[in-house]
Amino acid sequence: MQDAPIISIIDDDESMRCAIKSLVTSLGLDAYTFASAEAFLQSPHLEHTSCVITDLQMPGLNGVELQKSLLAQGRRIPIIFVTAFPEERLRARAMEAGALGFLSKPFESETLIKLIDKAIETGRKT
Amino acid sequence: MTFRAIAQNGTSRDSRAGTAAPATTGASNAQQVLLSTLPPSRGQKRLALAVVLVLLAAFCATVPFAAVPVGYIREFIPAYAAAMFVISSITSALLFVQFSVVHSRALLAVSGGYLFSALITIPWALTFPDLFGAADMAGTTWGVLTRVWRLVFPLSVIAYTLLKDDEASTAWPRALSYFAILLSAAGLLVAADLVAWLATSTRELTPSGLLFSVINRAQADWNALLLLLALFALALLWSRRRSVLDLWLMVVMCGLLIELCLIILVGRRYVVGWYAARLYFLVSSTLVLAVLLSETALLYARLARSVMAESREREARLMTMDVLSASIAHEMSQPLASIVTNADAAARWMGRPTPDLDEVKASLGQIRDSAYRARDLIGSIRAMIKRDARNRLPLDINDLVREIVALMERELQRNRISVELELDEHLPTVQADHVQLQQVLINLITNGLEAMAGNRRARILRVKSAIQEPDSVLISVADTGTGIDPEIVDRIFNPLFTTKSNGMGMGLSICRSIIEGHGGRLWASAGAEGGSVFQFVLPANIAG
Repeated sequence: MQDAPIISIIDDDESMRCAIKSLVTSLGLDAYTFASAEAFLQSPHLEHTSCVITDLQMPGLNGVELQKSLLAQGRRIPIIFVTAFPEERLRARAMEAGALGFLSKPFESETLIKLIDKAIETGRKT
Repeated sequence: MTFRAIAQNGTSRDSRAGTAAPATTGASNAQQVLLSTLPPSRGQKRLALAVVLVLLAAFCATVPFAAVPVGYIREFIPAYAAAMFVISSITSALLFVQFSVVHSRALLAVSGGYLFSALITIPWALTFPDLFGAADMAGTTWGVLTRVWRLVFPLSVIAYTLLKDDEASTAWPRALSYFAILLSAAGLLVAADLVAWLATSTRELTPSGLLFSVINRAQADWNALLLLLALFALALLWSRRRSVLDLWLMVVMCGLLIELCLIILVGRRYVVGWYAARLYFLVSSTLVLAVLLSETALLYARLARSVMAESREREARLMTMDVLSASIAHEMSQPLASIVTNADAAARWMGRPTPDLDEVKASLGQIRDSAYRARDLIGSIRAMIKRDARNRLPLDINDLVREIVALMERELQRNRISVELELDEHLPTVQADHVQLQQVLINLITNGLEAMAGNRRARILRVKSAIQEPDSVLISVADTGTGIDPEIVDRIFNPLFTTKSNGMGMGLSICRSIIEGHGGRLWASAGAEGGSVFQFVLPANIAG
C-alpha cells in the first residue's frame, strides 16, 4: 500500500506552522509540524519525509544548519525555505546547497504548492 | 530579537534620559570613584585591621629586645630617608591629583602634609650627627627636624579630618586648583628650607633662636606631646571615618604611634628599638601607598569598563532605528504570511468535492488571530512613536544638537566629516519628547553622513538652529553629499521607500511622524551648494 507523501513543516511561529499544515493537508498530503529543527531531526517522521518546509531563522539550529545536518546524514530531502528576512546572501547559500526553493513571507500559496509538487515528483523518480 | 524587546529597550532608555541631569550626575559619579570619598569595603577594613595588628605584634615582640645595642649602621639613615622621601612624594602626588578633581581643602591639607614630610627628609638626613661629618655632633639640629616632621604630619592629618566634614563641593576652575597645588608646593618647599635653615644656623637669643631652644629642650615633654598629637589625630579620624583614605590614614597614624612609643621607650640611638621604630613607620607608610595605588588602579579599571559599556550602549542606541524597522518588517510579515496561507488553505478546503467546513473554520480562526496580532503590533509601534504627551518637557534644541553631535562623534570622525554648528543662542525651548527628537536628529545626521560617504569634495555637515517668526524654531541639517533626485523628493518620506541597499525605508517616515506628532513639519530640499537639506520646524515655548 502506497502511503500519502509526508511533508514536514518546521517553524517556530505556531500560527505559521498551522497555516502551512492546513494548506498541505488540503492537498491530500500528510503533514507533521515541528517547532524546531532539533525536534524534527529527532522525530521518527524524518525517515519518511518527502519534503521539508522550514523557516530560515529559528532559535537553536537555523534552516541552513538543518540543511547541512541532513546532507551530512546522507539524506537528500528536498527543502523549501520560507523567511521573513529575505537576504540575498542567505538565499544564494541555501540554493547552492541544493534547496528546492526560497520563499519570503508572506508568500503566494500557489508557488509553495508548485514547489511541493516538484519535490514529490523528484521523490517518485528516484 | 523581537519587537517587544526593542519596545522595552525604548522605555528603559527613556527613564534614564529623564533622570540624567548631566552636571550633577557627573559630579556625584566622580565622588563615587575617589579614594577620598569612596567608603571602604569590608575586605579593606579587615586588611587595615590586620596591618595594625601585625604592627602591634611586631611592636610587642620588639619591646623585650628594644634596648639591645646594634651599633651604628652607616647606610641606615640615608636609605631610610631616601625611601621616606620617595614614598611621601608619591603619596602626596596621588593626593594632589585627587584634590585637583574634587577641590577639597581637606585633601590639600593632607597632601601638603605628605609633601612637607618628603621635603624635610633631605635636611633631616643631611644633619644626622654621624653622617657626612656633620658639624653638630650632639644631634640637636637633627632632633629638632625630627620633631618638626613628627609635628607637622599629624597636624596636617588633623586639618584634613576637620576640614573634610564641612566641604561644600565648591566648583573651582581647573586653573585655580593647579595654582593652589603649585602655591602650596612652593610654600612647603620654602617652609621646609626655612625650618632646616633655622635648625642649622640659629643659636643666638633671637626669637628664632629661642624657638629653637624651646623645641630642643625637654625631649621627654616633646615626645609626650607628639604622642598625644598622633593619638588625637587617630581618635579624630576614627570618629569621622568614612572613606578609604580615612581608613589608611588611621593605619599610618598607628605606625607613627608605634614609632613614637618605641623611641620614648629606648631613649637612645643605635639599639634594636631605635631601628625598629623607623622600620615600622616606613612599613606602614609603604603599605598605605601600596594600597592607595592599587585601589586607584582598580578604580581606574572599573571606570574604564563602565566607560566602555557606556560607549557600547551609545552605539546600540544609534542602531535602534535600523534594527527597529527591520524588526517591524519581520514581525509584520509573520501574521501576514499566516493570513495569506490560511485564506488559501480555507479556499481549498471549501473547493473540495465535499467541503471540509471544520478545516475552513479552523483556518478562519487562525486568520482572525493573526489579524489581531498584527493590530497589537501596530498598536505598540504607535504607542512607541506617539508616546505619552507627559514625556514632552521644555527642551533646548541647541543642547540636544550638541549632545547628538557628541554622541556621534566617533561615527563622524570615521567618515572624515566636519561638523559646523550655527546655533542661535537665543533660541526658545520647545515642548518635546527628548528621546524622540534625539531619534529624529540621529536619523537626519546619519542620512547626511551616508550621503557623503562617497564624496570627493569636502564633507561638511551643517546643523543650524534659528527662530522662525513668529513662534517656531527651525532646525536644518545640510550635507554636501549626493543630494536627492528631484524625481523622488516627494516620496522619500513614504514608509518603505529607500535608496539604500541595506535600509528598510522606515527612518524618514518615522521622523516625519514624530515631528508632525509634535505639531511641526519636516521637509527636504536641495542644498545651495549641492547636497541636500532636511529641515523641521517645531512650535516654540514663548517665554512670558
